[in-house]
Amino acid sequence: MRIFAVLMALLAIVVAPAANAEEAPLLATAVSEGKLPAEAERLPKEPKVVTIDESTGRTAGKRGGTIRTLMSEQGDLRLMTVYGYARLVAYNSALEMQPDILLSYENDRNRVFTLRLRPGHKWSDGSPFTAEDFRFQWEDILTDKDMDRGGLDSALLANGKGPKFEVIDDLTVRYTWEDPNPLFLPALAGARPLDIYSASAYLKQFHAKYADAAKLEAEVQKEKVKDWTRLQIRKGRSYRFENPDLPTLQPWTNTTNPPSSRYVFKRNPYYHKVDQNGLQLPYVDQVVVNIAESSIIPAKTGSGESDLQERYLSFADYTFLKEGEKRNNYTVRLWTVGKGSAVAIYPNLNANDEGWRKLFRDVRFRRALSLGIDRSEINQVLFAGLAKEGASTVLPGSPLYRDELGNAYAEFDLEKANALLDEMGLTRDANGMRKMPDGRSLDIIVESTGESTMEADVLELVTEDWKKLGIKLLTRTSQRDIFRSRVAAGETNMSVWAGVDNGAPTAEFNPQEFVPSDPYQLQWPMWGTYISSQGTAGQKIDLPEAQKLVDLYKQWLSSEDSAAHEKIWSEILDINADQVFSIGIVTATLVPVVISNKLKNVPAEGISSFDPYGYFGVYEMDAFWMDE
Amino acid sequence: MTLPANATRLPHTVSDRPFDPEAIYQFTDAQKALFEASQRRLMWWKFRRHKPALISGIFLAILYISILFSEMLAPYNLETRNSKFIYAPPQSVHLFNDGQFIGPFVYGFDYKLNMDNLKREYVPDPTKVQRLRFFCSGETYKFWGLIEGSFRLVCPPKDGTFFFMGTDRLGRDVFSRIIYGARISLTIGLLGVGVSLVLGIVIGGLAGYYGGLFDTLSQRLIEVIQSLPSIPLWLALAAILPITWSPIVVYFGITVILGLLDWTGLARTVRSKLLALREEDYVSAAQVMGASDRRVVFRHLVPGFASHLIATATIAIPTMILGETTLSFLGLGLRAPITSWGVLLTEAQNINAVALYPWLLWPVVPVILVVLAYNFFGDGLRDAADPYK
Repeated sequence: MRIFAVLMALLAIVVAPAANAEEAPLLATAVSEGKLPAEAERLPKEPKVVTIDESTGRTAGKRGGTIRTLMSEQGDLRLMTVYGYARLVAYNSALEMQPDILLSYENDRNRVFTLRLRPGHKWSDGSPFTAEDFRFQWEDILTDKDMDRGGLDSALLANGKGPKFEVIDDLTVRYTWEDPNPLFLPALAGARPLDIYSASAYLKQFHAKYADAAKLEAEVQKEKVKDWTRLQIRKGRSYRFENPDLPTLQPWTNTTNPPSSRYVFKRNPYYHKVDQNGLQLPYVDQVVVNIAESSIIPAKTGSGESDLQERYLSFADYTFLKEGEKRNNYTVRLWTVGKGSAVAIYPNLNANDEGWRKLFRDVRFRRALSLGIDRSEINQVLFAGLAKEGASTVLPGSPLYRDELGNAYAEFDLEKANALLDEMGLTRDANGMRKMPDGRSLDIIVESTGESTMEADVLELVTEDWKKLGIKLLTRTSQRDIFRSRVAAGETNMSVWAGVDNGAPTAEFNPQEFVPSDPYQLQWPMWGTYISSQGTAGQKIDLPEAQKLVDLYKQWLSSEDSAAHEKIWSEILDINADQVFSIGIVTATLVPVVISNKLKNVPAEGISSFDPYGYFGVYEMDAFWMDE
Repeated sequence: MTLPANATRLPHTVSDRPFDPEAIYQFTDAQKALFEASQRRLMWWKFRRHKPALISGIFLAILYISILFSEMLAPYNLETRNSKFIYAPPQSVHLFNDGQFIGPFVYGFDYKLNMDNLKREYVPDPTKVQRLRFFCSGETYKFWGLIEGSFRLVCPPKDGTFFFMGTDRLGRDVFSRIIYGARISLTIGLLGVGVSLVLGIVIGGLAGYYGGLFDTLSQRLIEVIQSLPSIPLWLALAAILPITWSPIVVYFGITVILGLLDWTGLARTVRSKLLALREEDYVSAAQVMGASDRRVVFRHLVPGFASHLIATATIAIPTMILGETTLSFLGLGLRAPITSWGVLLTEAQNINAVALYPWLLWPVVPVILVVLAYNFFGDGLRDAADPYK
């Protein structure tokens, strides 16, 4: 690791090209008027050099232009942090981790992490980016008593204990844990990054420790918040891009105050990357985000109102989008959805209703439900046969994939399924519908967010299949927030969502999505809460298989060699496949990506996934360019 | 005094022909019929002259009769899916092939998936002449969910398909679904109006006949209800219906909701009519003779404006049908597996339907036709309700 980092640093020095006199079109006037320093002075002393491999058909481009894209609500602005994907350490498209904002880093046995910053690196407002920004975030935000964050993020905890934080010098910080913490670096590289630094120069004016009390009070009044901590949180939300004044390190920064139906993101003049010709990135001057109702985004995209669109398009829109290709000068590509399963059904093992809980905890019931789904028909009807059928596990592209995992209880076998249900003593009434042991009829209500028509279509087909098992399926839709809180409170019996976010992990990725670890897990929300809260909330795990998963996860966290990691992963996947904690239906579905013909360097094939790919993030959106 | 023997009697001057004292008022048969006609008959004559209303009436009658036999009229069952024919376009019915009369037939489809834009392409193949079968035995169904049967008016050709209005995303025949949908969409209006009619007559009747505090209160309540925007209110009420209710109960729930919000206009009409009528002499007479309030209202007052009431109610039915369509279109009304025209339209609610599969919009046509027909019909009835005008 150390050698690699040093090599990278050396490489950067060697290739760092001479300062380029030419300025990006958006900034040229400001520079010539002396309002902004010249490019050479804005760049860090050792910028990150992005070498665009021209043999792959990508090209070093020119700067300028505007990308228009469509999103459906203000909350989606966070996608600009995801797309921009400037991280302390970042994955490349092969999912190898590299220093990005950092000049280099050292990782000593996953316990001691030393992070080195780029000398001369500046925030988007021109203030220097230094170790002080890390100290401020650590001392005055994350561990500040008044801020009351409810404990550290799980990625900052190893065996329940937080790190020791040290400032080595102005450009070097160190985090030290007693036990290994393999989650730290991946969290920094995540689509939603772990915030361990913030724009301290700006945010100090909203912090009681630094700001003038009267001024702060006035600001609190003005913003109509409860106290200064709320003010600090509101002003400091770097992920959400809601505060145009907050300095950022991302390639584009928001210049529009919400609420608005059109947000203009302008290039960060102090961005830390250059291409091999020494041009400061990003190539594209502006990204304009137009807000539109999600259901009409496909229509607007098809009429050429977006230069780069992936969100809110679905496979069903492909034909329509394709029709508009010539007329509106764009190309539709099909990317593979990187989720473990495009649609998966989750029985809630922590349902409040005792009758249902007992049923769901019976593995025969879960297996029968899975066996009773005709996946091949769903694939033919909804995906023209282009998706893959299989259980909810990792994708066939992952090194951890085995056929046994994908095929576990995924064949359509009504006889076997009915035999399992009969064996459980679920008798049928005169109409052939089954009854629960307590005499109620077996009507499963599946909760959905109603965001995707694909989910609704899949459920419609599953409804028919399950009718043959004597089980009635009903769908209820609600808003995503309500959906999540209802699931977490155990008020739902079953829910529908996609499979795991990271469908193609290697053994070095965190297996937590397959293990009770998070309150938002739909199959065991209470157990997830229990584990993530260190046993202070939620319910104690009382299912041996689930407990086994948690034990394995702990082993994974503490073990250091990759052979052990791989073995643990494979055991975790085996248990999940055998127990059918979630019922996967189709995987590796395709999603259309609409790309303007003027926009270059967007890969024709890619994986569409939030984490770890960050949609366009790992494909270097800052190196996309407009040929105008 | 005696008459001479040879005297002859003067001719009798009194006509012994039968005497008709009303002979000078000679009526033609037509006039007679008119004057002797009952109220109902008069209305019918008046109505008959209103041609659009008459045609609409016949059209509606046919539709309502059809919902009794939906199973027999539809070529496919409501839920039948044809996995091989997803988004198949409508097949038109031909009579002649190569200039030769064959009788009603369709051309079979050649299917291929266009790998370029992943469009399912169906091309009618002129060599596949598939004759439709009539009065035939097709897919089995349960008539009104009770009696098993297989008799159909028209069946798809053997080993062929007959999608008169194309198929949807799951390969279900749109035409059959529209026929089944009529059952729900047409009756929901009647039931809804039934509910609002009862509420309107009772509340409006009480308010108009007794007046006083009840009148004041009910009038203010009506104003409040009428000032609420109807769609959000429908949405809120529809959202209350529990998911576990079976679709048929939801169906009644929706009718009640529609009825609950629509009685206000009717109640006002009833009230104002009552206010006018209760001052009439014949009402006073009835009261003086000791008739109970109930007898006065239902025996003397309500029949006085019943015809008017029916006309008003008829005009309210299309509002109900549109209300159901709106609610279902927004996803808050009826839900699958109950199929109404509104439910069918929900599925056509995206750009794909408009751009690529326009036949999914067919359910719009019956909605428009029925609403128009009801409006004409109600118009005719209203004119007819006052036959002497």
